[in-house]
Amino acid sequence: MDASPHPRPRHHPRLGALLAAIVLAVTAAGCGTTESIRITPQPGATGSALPPSTATPEPSPSPAFPVTLVDDEGTEVDIPAEPERIVSLTPATTEILFALGVGDRIVGRVEDITLFPPEAGPIPEVAGFGTVNIEAIVGLEPDLVIAGGNFFTPPDGIERLRSVGLTVLVVYAADVETVFADIELTGRAVGRGDEALALADAIRAEFDAVAAATADLAAPRVFYELDATGAIYGPADESFLAEMIALAGGDPITTGSPDAFEIPLERLIEADPEVILLGDAAYGVTAEAVAARAGWNVMTAVRDGAIRPTEDVIITRPGPRLGEGLRSLALAIHPDLDLPAEGGG
Amino acid sequence: MTAASAGFGASRARTRRSLLREGARRHPRALFGTAVVALAVLAVLAVGFGTVSIAPETTVAIVLHRLLGLDTGATWSAASETIVWDLRIPRVLTAAMVGAALAVAGATFQGLLRNPLADPYVLGTASGAALGAAVALLIPVRIVVVEFGLVHAFAFVGALLAITVVYRLSRLSAWSGMTSLLLTGYAVGSLLAAGLAMAMYLSGATLRQIFAFLLGGFEAATWPRLAIALPLVVVGTAVILWRARVLNGLMLGEEAAAHLGVDVRRERAILLAAGSLVTAAAVAVSGLIGFVGLVVPHVVRLVVGPSARAVLPLSIVVGACLLVLADLGARLLGDIPVGVVSALVGAPFFLFLLRRAQSGYEL
Amino acid sequence: MTDLVPTDRAAIAGPPIVEFRAVTLAYGRREIVRAADLSIAPGERVALVGPNGAGKSTLLRALTGLLAPVAGQVEVDGRDVADFDRAALARRIAVVPQLAVLPFSARVEEIVALGRLPHEDPIRGPRPADRAAVAEAMDRVGLGRLLGRDARELSLGERQLVLVALAIAQAAPIVVLDEPTVHLDLRHQVEVMELLVDLNARDGTTVLAVLHDLNLAARYFPRVLVVADGRIAADGPPADVLTAARIRDVFGVDPGILWGAPWSPASADR
Repeated sequence: MDASPHPRPRHHPRLGALLAAIVLAVTAAGCGTTESIRITPQPGATGSALPPSTATPEPSPSPAFPVTLVDDEGTEVDIPAEPERIVSLTPATTEILFALGVGDRIVGRVEDITLFPPEAGPIPEVAGFGTVNIEAIVGLEPDLVIAGGNFFTPPDGIERLRSVGLTVLVVYAADVETVFADIELTGRAVGRGDEALALADAIRAEFDAVAAATADLAAPRVFYELDATGAIYGPADESFLAEMIALAGGDPITTGSPDAFEIPLERLIEADPEVILLGDAAYGVTAEAVAARAGWNVMTAVRDGAIRPTEDVIITRPGPRLGEGLRSLALAIHPDLDLPAEGGG
Repeated sequence: MTAASAGFGASRARTRRSLLREGARRHPRALFGTAVVALAVLAVLAVGFGTVSIAPETTVAIVLHRLLGLDTGATWSAASETIVWDLRIPRVLTAAMVGAALAVAGATFQGLLRNPLADPYVLGTASGAALGAAVALLIPVRIVVVEFGLVHAFAFVGALLAITVVYRLSRLSAWSGMTSLLLTGYAVGSLLAAGLAMAMYLSGATLRQIFAFLLGGFEAATWPRLAIALPLVVVGTAVILWRARVLNGLMLGEEAAAHLGVDVRRERAILLAAGSLVTAAAVAVSGLIGFVGLVVPHVVRLVVGPSARAVLPLSIVVGACLLVLADLGARLLGDIPVGVVSALVGAPFFLFLLRRAQSGYEL
Repeated sequence: MTDLVPTDRAAIAGPPIVEFRAVTLAYGRREIVRAADLSIAPGERVALVGPNGAGKSTLLRALTGLLAPVAGQVEVDGRDVADFDRAALARRIAVVPQLAVLPFSARVEEIVALGRLPHEDPIRGPRPADRAAVAEAMDRVGLGRLLGRDARELSLGERQLVLVALAIAQAAPIVVLDEPTVHLDLRHQVEVMELLVDLNARDGTTVLAVLHDLNLAARYFPRVLVVADGRIAADGPPADVLTAARIRDVFGVDPGILWGAPWSPASADR
């Protein structure tokens, strides 16, 4: 599981949809200019407000370096020149860099079981889940390291890399809006600011399409199962995943607290999901297996047979495929949804 | 013993082995010298190897340049220099220091408590350090002074606080000195462990960090951390070495020690303090690494006998060797936890020695 | 070689080597010894006997500085015991340790070498003189054949001898023993007693032994102190002290007393 759905106080999911709609409207109005209005996350959220881009609005190339960026931990990071050797310590960053066309500059990456794109395969692994090989990274002589916040990359490792003089940018998206901010941040860090804006806009357009398609539909109660081999794990309150479900036109059933990921079976039964989505489908969990579980047959979703697998990676990874993820999520929740074909925006 | 019937060759081999052991017992100084040389060799090897391959000549050139300002005409990349000087050397030196500290503390506690199963953590230091570290990780504040963060400071303080509590409480008990220490240590340790479990339960994401600390390792070894911990370890070790004869005197019990001229009350406090200081410094820097403190003194005793005068200095060097080797192994095997490697390396060797030892060992 | 001639204390010149003056000893509030007076001249061989709980061991602990008197003074060489630092006291008084469990394996000579602790150089450790003293002590006790053996493998009797050797290596003018023969067979009991007599006769060592065995006390010690109920009930040659009446009175047992020939170990395996 890819996203670090670590709970921070968040705006209400419906408000998120509303804001997405506003962004759409404003972006549509501002189409043609490269400068857009950013929605600043509410105080308490970890995403930080981006300072206005130092790139000028003219489409003609202008010096993007040296630049000082503020990363998602609030650290000011100086990037003196356009990075040519990049180490990516989050799978989402790897995807973003490839989407921005600079995948060939990645000299080291984090281990990723659900690797995307496949071209990233040959890049040497210099970090694993929760571990970082400082020596290997230093040995690659990178001029930019992009790490994951909220303990995805161990803070000790980040500190160590900085202490030996490497430039480290920390990204962490606890909500959807910050994903866009991170795409733009990453783009500016590697000298592809314009491409990043375009990518973000494209994803926003996909979000808007889903919002439009689900606007008039009733939102069924959705339980997104992350794991049920032992205790049942689902989305925490106000988490990234809960927000995605809401944006996809569902009413997410959450664990009841922003810090807890376990949901007791009684609570789940009481919440009575109308749709059960299997985020653990990749581990071989099937609808039949779920229906056979003791006590689950009272749930509406089980009785209606509304148990559907999802491709968890694209839904939870804060990267360029998030729009695709939202679409697939929406289709899983509303199988008859009328969504226009992908593209546009 | 096993090789009973093997005949002339085997009995000659046995004679050679026992002669060797006799020699070792009679000349602990020579053994010490050999061990120091072994340590130096291991250290050099450990600096030379790692994930990134750097030619040995380059390594030497970098060290000479940074240490003595010598210019050998070789060139190297900034990355190589960083790797050798800022990453590997502090790591190897820290491993050596921690190995030495844990081994000497283990020998001290074993002698002090007259218990072959004692290790540096037996009196609650481990639980105290772990709880301290967990608390530090849970506090949403980051303070770093000379790279000694809240985690290290709290771990250090936690270890010392735990043993102070144990010592004070043990004085109130009806049992005699050492027994009461052991029992109190167990009780307080369990209590602290419960506190740690609670902290881990409440911790959420920091759980992984707490675990990382508990498993122990040298990834975070830096020059400043070494510079702060080293004097503590040196002072504590010096005090322990100075009191070596006291540990000998305690061998037959507290009363016998008193009759042999040992001020048991005072010496117990001194040795406890020194042993704990050394353990706390080691744990603060590198987390909880087990096995070394328990086994190294026994290995050394099997070779040179129980006299603390020989056991203590040798434990220092052998402990350092073991951890340097274990860290090297851990790095080459893909960064697995050091404690796992030290146990994997040390346990079979220890069992081998046990089988060959001349006397049985009732543990 | 036993010497049952009572030591003529009056004839020995000089101050007592051990003196107890109106000593009261207690553990907490429990008084064990009340106002005891005792004087031992240098070179004496004294046995302390008495029933369990009478206070014999307590008197020894006061002598070796482990228990401070509630009242009165305990003096060694004319100085209060409390004024000695532990190492200095250890050079004056050698206590044969109780049999103890050894946590680590140790060779016999390493155990005996512990007796040199009060004399060793604190930094440099044992010197040749120390090693010589250890060898001599082992020789004297007849432990030559046990050299290099693991002390934990020895029989109880052999271990007790090792501990006696330890005290001998300590080379102190006073040797104190607390029930050294409890676990020993007859032969080893006699060996230990002979050793004490030898120490006393050859080196002039003052020997003070707590014994539970009245026979040994009577045969090997020219002076016997009977301790009962925290007082010294009798003090003198065994024939005078260990009378039927006193034994009945103190020990609650009707004895049959036979004064016969002295023992000696069978000469075959010496």
